Amino acid sequence: MMLVVAGLTATGLYFAQRNATSTLQQDLLRDFQADLAALHKVEELRYAALAERCRALVAKPRIHAALEDNALDLLYPSARDELRDIMQDRANPQPDQISGVPHASFYRFLDHAGKVLPPPNPAEVGVLSTDEEAQLALKELPQTAQVGYLRRGAGAAEATIDEIIALPITSTETGEVIAALVIGFKPLEVAPKGGVEDMVSGIWLNGWLHLPGLSESVRAAVDQEMNRFLAANEVERSSRMYIDGDLYLSFFKKLNSGSAYPAVYEVAVHPLRIALTRQHRLRWQILGAGAVLLLIGFIASHLIAKRLSAPVAKLAVDSEENRARRKRVEAALASKHEELQRSTRFSADASHQLKTPVTVLRAGIEELLGRENLEPAMYDELSALHHQTYRLTGVIDDLLLLSRMDAGRLKIEFGSVDLSQVVEEWLDDLNALPDPLGLDVKTHVPAGLSISGERRYASLILQNLLENARKYNRSGGRIHVAGREENGSVYLTVGNSGPAIPPEMQPYIFERFSRGANGEKIAGHGIGLNLARELARLHGGELNLVSSNNEWTEFEVRFRPAEQSTANSRRPA
Amino acid sequence: MNVRSLFVFLCVLGAHAPIARAQASVEGRVELPKTTSAPVVAKRYEVVTYGGVLSTSPPLAVVYLEGSFPKPASLPTKQVAQKDLMFVPALLPIQVGTKVEFPNQEKDTYHNIFSYSPAKRFDLGRYRPDEKPVPFQIFDVAGLVTLRCDIHEHMRGLILVLATPHFAVTDDSGHFKLTGLPAGHYTLKAWIDSRTTREHPIDLKSGSTAHVDFP
Repeated sequence: MMLVVAGLTATGLYFAQRNATSTLQQDLLRDFQADLAALHKVEELRYAALAERCRALVAKPRIHAALEDNALDLLYPSARDELRDIMQDRANPQPDQISGVPHASFYRFLDHAGKVLPPPNPAEVGVLSTDEEAQLALKELPQTAQVGYLRRGAGAAEATIDEIIALPITSTETGEVIAALVIGFKPLEVAPKGGVEDMVSGIWLNGWLHLPGLSESVRAAVDQEMNRFLAANEVERSSRMYIDGDLYLSFFKKLNSGSAYPAVYEVAVHPLRIALTRQHRLRWQILGAGAVLLLIGFIASHLIAKRLSAPVAKLAVDSEENRARRKRVEAALASKHEELQRSTRFSADASHQLKTPVTVLRAGIEELLGRENLEPAMYDELSALHHQTYRLTGVIDDLLLLSRMDAGRLKIEFGSVDLSQVVEEWLDDLNALPDPLGLDVKTHVPAGLSISGERRYASLILQNLLENARKYNRSGGRIHVAGREENGSVYLTVGNSGPAIPPEMQPYIFERFSRGANGEKIAGHGIGLNLARELARLHGGELNLVSSNNEWTEFEVRFRPAEQSTANSRRPA
Repeated sequence: MNVRSLFVFLCVLGAHAPIARAQASVEGRVELPKTTSAPVVAKRYEVVTYGGVLSTSPPLAVVYLEGSFPKPASLPTKQVAQKDLMFVPALLPIQVGTKVEFPNQEKDTYHNIFSYSPAKRFDLGRYRPDEKPVPFQIFDVAGLVTLRCDIHEHMRGLILVLATPHFAVTDDSGHFKLTGLPAGHYTLKAWIDSRTTREHPIDLKSGSTAHVDFP
């Protein structure tokens, strides 16, 4: 993986630097040409400004007057005034304005034959040698402005080039060109801007290249290229030269096409060595940067991967632990479930297996009781046994019910149950039973107080509570059954005046097979309250011991009230 | 003062000045160069050049009697005004020694009248309209003086400085008349443009009017 990434990166870098190389070369060429174009633009502007300025000069009435009114002696003095601001002040040279009019270094007038009119005081108009002055002359006066270049100075080393512009002076009287004004000024020397700072440019004039600071070999190559350019008779030429293994860009352009002065050419040379060195450096920089990036990438990815994998590893360990724990829990659950199932099954089986013998037993006892020759003592004994079978059946029924509840098979079919009716029915039953204690039963259940539940089981809850209240009462005691609706719930309280349940027993009274301290004396099997509470909970309510003191023990069942619609529909008319 | 009134003025001047002498006259017509320009209604004359030759447009000629005449004690001052960027009159013949004023009659334009002519070089410098004293020059050498303005390069004016007091400007059809001339043998000359001056020998007799036509 690492090798693939490294390989891809290296390939990418190789193409990047190759691309950079070619882009750089193109950029250099473009920069070179753009710089030249900018230079030419500046020159054009300068030339245009100069020509405009000079045209205004040659239209000056005094110059015309001197030429036309035969006052040549006044020509230079007049021009001195007019050209004062264009001439470079020798004592105090001013820098040229690039876009403005440059300062002239000399000027001369040409007469009608194109010969130089000698100035009376050369110091005022720029001193020129005889040879230089002769170069200004033209065979005939030009009709338009002419651009030329003047080589000044004798030796090749000191020689400089002045740009000259010859402007025709047209007589306002004859409309003919009667003279010309030749102005010379230093050629524009603008440091090229942009990336081509090592470009040099010069002038080729009369077989002589004015380009100081050029090595001999380059000069020879440029001369050769120049001759090729001249032979091809092109307007401009751009070429590449290899000199001593170095690449040079060169550019040639004729500067004064159609001029009456000798042709001059601009020669620009741009050695690419520096640029190539820079490019070389750039290549190494790219490679170096790539390598560093790659290294950093490796390290970073390694670190990140490590950081990312840590939680995964932890997760793996955790999940292993979890699985073990879950397995344990599942096993425990399964065993619990099995246990529950087994106990439930046992309970159910036991109930079923018990019910049949009890029925057989009762039938046998009833048959014995039906015999005529039965002694009274025997009859009483058998009656007691018969009664016990009923108790046994009740216990078995309760156990069956509980086991069904434990198995989750008991489903309450919710409907509206009129609690007052249920209470009435049970009180009727209660009155039918023998009442050895002479209990005083009072009810206070509002008519139509309905709960949500199944009548059969709601009735069973009440039955258990009432039986408890009766069983644990004292002689001549009271039972009070009351119902009320409060805070969105229906409460039914069953109170009796039996002895108090000791506080230490109170938490256990709802447990299965738990009985009161004096329970031994009282009939019952200890699952009544547990059953009632389970049923109350199945109804979405609760059964609680509200209070138990010496005088009064009270249980309270909370039910959900009947839903209004069903309550209304099922309420008897 | 327009050219016609000047002309009339000059004629009257010529007629009355040498009043004490025996008088002769000469009249005739100068054949003026043909002009293609439309007749000038406003009678404004300007100096034009054609082939390097200065003349007025429409063409006018100056006819003068060449000879040796006694110098007058005083000469009237003449004027060449600048108005609407033109010299008025465009062509002024004067006798040598005449003082000529150059009033600027523009509304708010400066002028700088100068001349590089061999007959008279001068430069009045810049001056405002109604400059006081009015810039002037005295013309001591005979010859043609070209007036220019350094500010308005197209402006041209001509002053023809003559050694004679007897001269007249023709009307635009070329007719002229010189009166009050001394009797004798003279040369009558007609200046037509800066390069063309025609001449004609003439014998003037007292009390008679000679007739000379310049072809």
